[in-house]
Amino acid sequence: MKVGIVGVGFMGTTHASGWADTPAQIAGFTAETQDEAEKLAMQYQAKVYSSLDAMLPDVDVVDICSPTHLHHEMILKAAAAGKHIVCEKPLARTTQQAREVVEACSKAGVQLLVAHVVRFFPEYALAQSAIANGQIGKPAVLRLHRGSYRPKKPAGNWFLEESKSGGILMDLMIHDYDYARWIAGDVETVSARRVTESHSDAPVDYGLVILGHKSGALSHIAGSWAYPPPTFITRFEIAGEHGLIEFDSEATAPIHNLILKTGGSDAPDVGLPSSPVSESPYTTQLKEFYAALADGKPTRVRATDGLASVQIAEAALQSARTNQPVTLQSLAEA
Amino acid sequence: MKIGILSFAHHHGEAYISNLRRMDNVELLGVADDDTTRGEALAKQHEARYFPSYEALLEAKPDGVIICTENNRHRSLVEMAASCGVHVLCEKPIATTHADAKAIVDVCSQAGIVLMTAFPMRFSVPLLEIKARLDNGDFGNVYCFNATNQGELPTKHRAWFVDPDLAGGGAIMDHTVHLVDIMRWFIGSEVETMYAHSNKIFHADEVQVETGALEMLTFKNNVFATIDASWCRPQYWPTWGGLTFEMVTQRGAVFVDAFRQNINVYSHNAQRANWSYWGSDMNHAMVNEFASAIRENREPKVTGVDGLRAVEATLAAYESTRTGQTVQVQRA
Repeated sequence: MKVGIVGVGFMGTTHASGWADTPAQIAGFTAETQDEAEKLAMQYQAKVYSSLDAMLPDVDVVDICSPTHLHHEMILKAAAAGKHIVCEKPLARTTQQAREVVEACSKAGVQLLVAHVVRFFPEYALAQSAIANGQIGKPAVLRLHRGSYRPKKPAGNWFLEESKSGGILMDLMIHDYDYARWIAGDVETVSARRVTESHSDAPVDYGLVILGHKSGALSHIAGSWAYPPPTFITRFEIAGEHGLIEFDSEATAPIHNLILKTGGSDAPDVGLPSSPVSESPYTTQLKEFYAALADGKPTRVRATDGLASVQIAEAALQSARTNQPVTLQSLAEA
Repeated sequence: MKIGILSFAHHHGEAYISNLRRMDNVELLGVADDDTTRGEALAKQHEARYFPSYEALLEAKPDGVIICTENNRHRSLVEMAASCGVHVLCEKPIATTHADAKAIVDVCSQAGIVLMTAFPMRFSVPLLEIKARLDNGDFGNVYCFNATNQGELPTKHRAWFVDPDLAGGGAIMDHTVHLVDIMRWFIGSEVETMYAHSNKIFHADEVQVETGALEMLTFKNNVFATIDASWCRPQYWPTWGGLTFEMVTQRGAVFVDAFRQNINVYSHNAQRANWSYWGSDMNHAMVNEFASAIRENREPKVTGVDGLRAVEATLAAYESTRTGQTVQVQRA
């Protein structure tokens, strides 16, 4: 199985490392930043392609790690060429685009695997399985929290351009919309606020979202780009009819550094959680995706999950503008 | 100064007895309760004088009373105290309807007596520190709050806490007012809009009222917030619940856990973890402020209007759960 990776930023680099732990072969990379692509290609003894078009004939799988607004066009191209697709979250920038790529992949008979990596983090996966095993009964109120600092980029910081990334309500908080759906099922209503909507000059951003699930459960999702680098905090609390599950990345960190600093420390461009575990959740994810592609094994994330979380994110953006809740259209009926 | 306690319907009544007894120049006049059995038993247990009726206690000329009835019965006792010129510290929420809350504020204003709402969080030392840093400009502009006031089902204290009439609702009525009041105090702005969504999954078969609730509110100055008011804590959780918030500001964020000052106790007797609180007693500071306001003939640091505003936001939350929309808070 030959994989071509599109984009060589933080995610492209991380995926390359994950693929390297599978039997798949990394055929090559394509990216706007050729220098960075050259470095990675050297490391993995792969090629640099000038474009996705140039890469397609050489690969079986296209792994899309480009900025969100480019996903739609790239997925359509890869699907038209009959290639399987792995795509970073969010699946697409709009619900309409997400719907189109899901349909296109379905028609083309290719797999569309959406990298909602939070489902592969051991603490999140363990809580999900505890709930699936009935340990706390029916979930009632979920609180999901993900907080870091504003993503940096040497140039062209697309994360901060809403037309490209969807901003904090889409880019960061979609992780937890997806997790909330995994735990409590489909979402009917979305109510959202965010700091940069009400205070456009704010040097930080922060989003608050309330989801109403069809099951009757409620989810509270908080996303922060307001903390000092290199902070990355995740928390969840899932209260059910028969119990409660709590997690706090700070409280469960097995190592606390109280090391005297000799110089300034550099934070990565994008904050990421890092409790030491034997296998990176990104690698766990790509191994599961490899098994799906090679042997048709089931994965924990379906393409329609990627679509559903984009729909929630888009509703959150709308709600934050209008200060009114948004009722979601059923994706099945649409 | 003599202070009496009217009713033990709210379990805080017992705590106030010990608060009053530890204060200088304040005497616990006694207690009265329309539930004679409960009143007599608790009066005996706490070695307090028992009055056979509220009228009898008021005739003994207290300077002030602390009203600890069920939520919907505050008004009649406030009116009785006001007619005797007796100052009032009233349990929260101050009332369950807008009309009652307004009437309570008006009757005390007309009588020229002190009316204080029992919002103990105003006297929490960690919260006072945040307030001082806010006033000092340490945080710059405030943008939003992500707040929780969660608890266990309160029926282990009193059954009426889940009675739709006596309590005026469930988790929303019980928990919204504290955080609304804290935020109003911190940022000096009124709640403009409210969105709320509730459910009844915890204790579904035991109660009629909502047990889970999330709220989203916006203040006049554009600060917004969420409040989790849920009764989501299992009865075997290490403590009763808590109150937390993250405040997001121009200079970053600050997490506050108002009841975090605990020791963890593991006892063979309890067979579970227990968080034992060693932080300062905010109830004591609150009751002390009531006595000081009476003594100094001044407005207390927490007024009846503060209680009224918190009730208005809470009622808007209930309206939102009915309409499914973000609603305007109606202010008197």
